[in-house]
Amino acid sequence: MSSGQNSGGLMSSAGLVRYFESEDRNAIRIDPKTVLAFAVLFGVFVQIVSLAV
Amino acid sequence: MSWKDAAEPVLTRMPTVRRPEGHVPFKRKLLWTAGILMVYFFLTNINPFGLAAGQSSDFFGQFRSILAGESGSLLQVGIGPIVTASIVLQLLGGANLLGLDTSDPRDQVLYQGLQKLLVFIVTGLTAAPMVFSGGFLPVDQSVASALGVSVFAVQVLIFAQIFVGGVLILFMDEIVSKWGVGSGVGLFIIAAVSQQLVGGFFSFSALGQSGFFARWVAIITGNEEIGSPFTADGLQSLLFEPGSLLALFTTIFIFGVVVYAESVRVEIPLSHARVKGARGRFPVKLIYASVLPMILVRALQANVQFLGQILNSQWAAMPTWLGAYNDQGTPISGFFYYVAPIQQPGQWMWFLGETTAEPWMIAVRVAIDLTVMVVGGAIFAIFWVETTDMGPEATAKQIQNSGMQIPGFRRNPQVVEKVMERYIPQVTVIGGALVGLLAVMANMLGTVGGVSGTGLLLAVSITYKLYEEIAEEQLMEMHPMMRQMFGNE
Repeated sequence: MSSGQNSGGLMSSAGLVRYFESEDRNAIRIDPKTVLAFAVLFGVFVQIVSLAV
Repeated sequence: MSWKDAAEPVLTRMPTVRRPEGHVPFKRKLLWTAGILMVYFFLTNINPFGLAAGQSSDFFGQFRSILAGESGSLLQVGIGPIVTASIVLQLLGGANLLGLDTSDPRDQVLYQGLQKLLVFIVTGLTAAPMVFSGGFLPVDQSVASALGVSVFAVQVLIFAQIFVGGVLILFMDEIVSKWGVGSGVGLFIIAAVSQQLVGGFFSFSALGQSGFFARWVAIITGNEEIGSPFTADGLQSLLFEPGSLLALFTTIFIFGVVVYAESVRVEIPLSHARVKGARGRFPVKLIYASVLPMILVRALQANVQFLGQILNSQWAAMPTWLGAYNDQGTPISGFFYYVAPIQQPGQWMWFLGETTAEPWMIAVRVAIDLTVMVVGGAIFAIFWVETTDMGPEATAKQIQNSGMQIPGFRRNPQVVEKVMERYIPQVTVIGGALVGLLAVMANMLGTVGGVSGTGLLLAVSITYKLYEEIAEEQLMEMHPMMRQMFGNE
């Protein structure tokens, strides 16, 4: 139990977008890996199309 | 039926990134953050298909270092839509027009959904004028003729790509928030600013532009004439181009001031109600609301300037009192000139000869900028504290729930709230106004690499926060017990 224990925990370090714990059962859930893979493939795809045309 | 019931089916079905089940090890978090950063840099280097390469002009202009992203790339819109959507939510939430209680799970879901929907809409609204108003993102004619379609069809294609880029930024932010360290928005701002700063210091002529060190090597070896420092010309070239001593001073000054201001705080002592000897402190920092409200004020100014840009490109007979623009698309007089923030020393230092404006016009512009930033900084800081649950009432509840109390006071949320009310509102206003003042000053003096002063201010402060967060993560890694206390399990 160090004295600094409350310095971080109670302060909210929220970014501009807030995400809460609770989520609706209906929400479409995406795996983070899917997002990353899509982003990389999207970039590669656009680059290839640009080079091809 | 309130708007909530009507909007619920849409808002609850917004796609979200899955939450990790259980604890994510610190190393994993770092990996996710680094991965997102790499994908971000990768995407800033890809030009949209159909864009005439190298001919685009930046719609964001000098606001780029705050709004991240890269002009003429897939990430053209940067975090602009997120920031603008956040402004709308802050204003609605701050004025309590939404009627959402963020401690109620159902309202939390609605808030998240609304937030996401707003970002999608604003992304479209930001990307559309960039693509369709001409000028900013010109279409490559050869692509249109090679595909045998009209220019408009290619514009739609570019719009779609930039829109997808904007949506990807939002999801990448969500991944960093849920699986990584800090927030994606912060990460992208740091990335954009650091890139410019490193370029400003270390770039050399072979890369196109000489950086700070390269120029000083040239000055010392006599390849660059600067004249005697005792003459007005010599002094000027030492302080500005090519010496940039003033920029170096400002850069170091901002680093120093931000780190100092982060450590200035009022500490409210706490003790545990049951465990004797367990003590803590609740810090009310000078920059209690953090520097993020500053982005909101700057983005508000940016949005006014975008409006001016769009009007200028679409409305040939725009009256001059509203705004007169030069060939580079910068306002030189009229309303849009006066509300444009000062971004660089050259814009107000009339003696440098970089601006054609009269000294009194510059004075009015600086006065307006200063007023907007100081007053706006304070107002948005108050909204920020309220909407992120850092206000007296919310913190009193948190302290109560963690089993702590203020020694010498009754263990009661209302009593704790009274004590908090003595500090939090005052500190918030003072801190917000101070950051506004600092941001204007930093912009006016200029920084190395042409990063806007506000951008640097944000980057240093966010990095400091990130450092604190990493330290906390490591502490929790070493003492799993801590995790329960922080409530992160």
